[in-house]
Amino acid sequence: MNLRKPLILTVVASALVGSLAISSVSASAVSDPGVSASEIVLGMQLPQTGAASPGYNKVDDAARAYFDYVNSKGGVYGRNIKLAVKDDTYKAGLTISSASKLINEDKIFAFFGSIGTQTHVSVIKDINRRKIPDIFVNSGYSGFYTDPKKYPTTFGGLGTYTVEAKILGKYLKEKYADKKIGVLYQSDDFGRNALAGFATAGLKFEAKKTSASFVAGTQGSIGLASQLSQLKENGVEIVIIAAVSSATAVAYATAAQLGYKPSKWAVISVGADATTFQTILGAKGVPAATSAAMLAGTISASHAPAPGEADDEFVKAFKKINDDFNKGPDKRWDNNVMQGMNIAYLATEALLGVGKDLTRAKLIAYLENNGSKLSSAAFAPLGYSKTTHEAFTGFWIGQYDATTLLAPIDGKRVVYTTDSGSGAVTVSNYKRPAIAADALPKVA
Amino acid sequence: MSKRREHKIIGLRSTLLSIALFLFFILLSQQFDPYNQSQLANIATLLIAVLSITLLTGASGQISLGQGAIMAVGGYGSALLVTRLGFSMWISFILAIFISALFGLFLGLAAARLSGPYLAGTTLVMALAIPSIAVRFESFFSGDVGLSVDYGMPPVWLTNLVGEISIEEWSLYVVLPFTAAALFAVLNLSNTRTGRTWRAVRDNEVSAALSGINIQRTKVIVFVCASGLAGLAGALYGFRGLVAPSVYPTDLSLTLLTAAVIGGLRSIGGAIFGTFAIVFLPDLIEKITKNLAIPETIGNYLPALTIGTLLLLTVILNPRGAAGALEHIRHRKKH
Repeated sequence: MNLRKPLILTVVASALVGSLAISSVSASAVSDPGVSASEIVLGMQLPQTGAASPGYNKVDDAARAYFDYVNSKGGVYGRNIKLAVKDDTYKAGLTISSASKLINEDKIFAFFGSIGTQTHVSVIKDINRRKIPDIFVNSGYSGFYTDPKKYPTTFGGLGTYTVEAKILGKYLKEKYADKKIGVLYQSDDFGRNALAGFATAGLKFEAKKTSASFVAGTQGSIGLASQLSQLKENGVEIVIIAAVSSATAVAYATAAQLGYKPSKWAVISVGADATTFQTILGAKGVPAATSAAMLAGTISASHAPAPGEADDEFVKAFKKINDDFNKGPDKRWDNNVMQGMNIAYLATEALLGVGKDLTRAKLIAYLENNGSKLSSAAFAPLGYSKTTHEAFTGFWIGQYDATTLLAPIDGKRVVYTTDSGSGAVTVSNYKRPAIAADALPKVA
Repeated sequence: MSKRREHKIIGLRSTLLSIALFLFFILLSQQFDPYNQSQLANIATLLIAVLSITLLTGASGQISLGQGAIMAVGGYGSALLVTRLGFSMWISFILAIFISALFGLFLGLAAARLSGPYLAGTTLVMALAIPSIAVRFESFFSGDVGLSVDYGMPPVWLTNLVGEISIEEWSLYVVLPFTAAALFAVLNLSNTRTGRTWRAVRDNEVSAALSGINIQRTKVIVFVCASGLAGLAGALYGFRGLVAPSVYPTDLSLTLLTAAVIGGLRSIGGAIFGTFAIVFLPDLIEKITKNLAIPETIGNYLPALTIGTLLLLTVILNPRGAAGALEHIRHRKKH
């Protein structure tokens, strides 16, 4: 190996490559980064590409559409909300780099709505030690929220998987007491958190028999044939899925190929979006009518109205904003778009609530003290307090009909509430406040 | 020139070049904002892994598509030492070298019997299998969630000495001494009798064997050395925040190989250039796509597409990589 001059020259060449990528260092800010007289910058990390991206890659465009709507109405105390987004492809190595980019280059004020449990694990500690607000995280993993001393700046944007699994598990156990119930889950905190909820509800599964797991992200390349064969061979009649949307679609398609017809499917809400389900199966050549028929009868839960509830006032308002402001490549109205809009609505409400003198510390204090009073499209309040940063504390249970609408069981919506611990599941008496005519949140 | 004098010169040259690289990174970091400082730390980390490919493939002709998996071995080794046994981060980095070198020994014993596509296939399977092991023995390796580890905050004595420094700058200071040491080791190995032996095996195994070189043993030694380096890189890479399967995906191995090929498989300077390219090119492309308002549906795929195209063009038009092209230009100027 000839090393001397080429080495020096390549070192210089490397410096040139590096220099090209450097942006000019901005002047140091006097207040918290990401807030100026005219702008509030929020940052989101999500899989825009890769195996886990289908469906979730619409959340950022939906949130941005709502912020653009708010900006068109004068913003928050004259400040426009800007959303900087980074694609981490659902790989933690990239999540770490892109978090640094959002913090240091985009100079964000707060992380907002980041998607992915196993990816967020890689950055949550760093975000918290820098005291950056990490709000409305799109993960239902309770470990992020139930100990605010550990993660004081992180606040949930979904009901925890434990809460949802407790509610769903109680329903399934009572309704299908005579059936053999099994579970297919992704082997990360998402899946395990859901399993803990099912266990609290009294649903126990047997490893390698009625319980099958897979590594998140491998559903596209390796498939789920061995897991579903295992459930089939063990006579599982009710299959619960605790996994991302792409895995749900792969599971249904694989079961069809194996000739496995469980009498009922039940899917945790984040993996049960009908549009994503149909899009993924459509790409595999399954006609829309067939995929709709496959989904029909599936049980799921939701904290918010189903996107197909055309008469719901929040659905109407958000749908119109989506039509008018969403510039994303796929703006089809679904659960993901609804969730993006809803957390953007909540973020706007919180920023308004903090007041004109916006700082990171004030936003965190506001959410802890007043977060549970914030209203949104959800039929359950946020659980925020000084002792927990869990988001929506209740879910209603529904069943997909032939038109892919998640309709309340027996036609009547009953919202159940519980905690992420061992508390009982009870009926919620929360009454959702109405949305204003201009679809902007109002704070006292 | 006597042997001792030759070794002295090589040792001095290696020391000077390693110090030069160290100072170069430090000086460059002073011009950078914290994000680019963290990218520099990334380069310094990945460079160690790319150097392992320079040794393995460039110097001894053995192909590995699984250096990312060996990085995972080092990462898990160091993270387990810190989280389960309470070792200091620094000690765990050193021990990660030995843990992964031991892994490389077993791998090398198998690899020495294989060559070409068979070796590539075996190492690729390893890259796919290692993450599954972490998930299979979930209670020990923490499954998909992984082990949360980091470099910590800059120590007080350092901030007292040089003033307030960012977390990103601190990560660079942690990594850089190891990078300089790795470069020193590779430079020394490459330019002494050991390196010449490896190259002899690479160029013609029969001739090397006739010259008295033990082919199998040489190949195993190279695997051990390269694995030690990759393991060190893996430990440093994991301490950015998390040691988990998704931190060491299969495409990490391919990215490292891409860096080595673009820069020039047989050149250490090329390894430096290639590592800079794979880390900074995506940022550069993002800046361009932002300025040109290219939609995200295209922009998100452009970095991988560009690097992939660059790799293809290198293999087809300039197999010796950037370092080879530079050498060619120098040669033409001379004549």
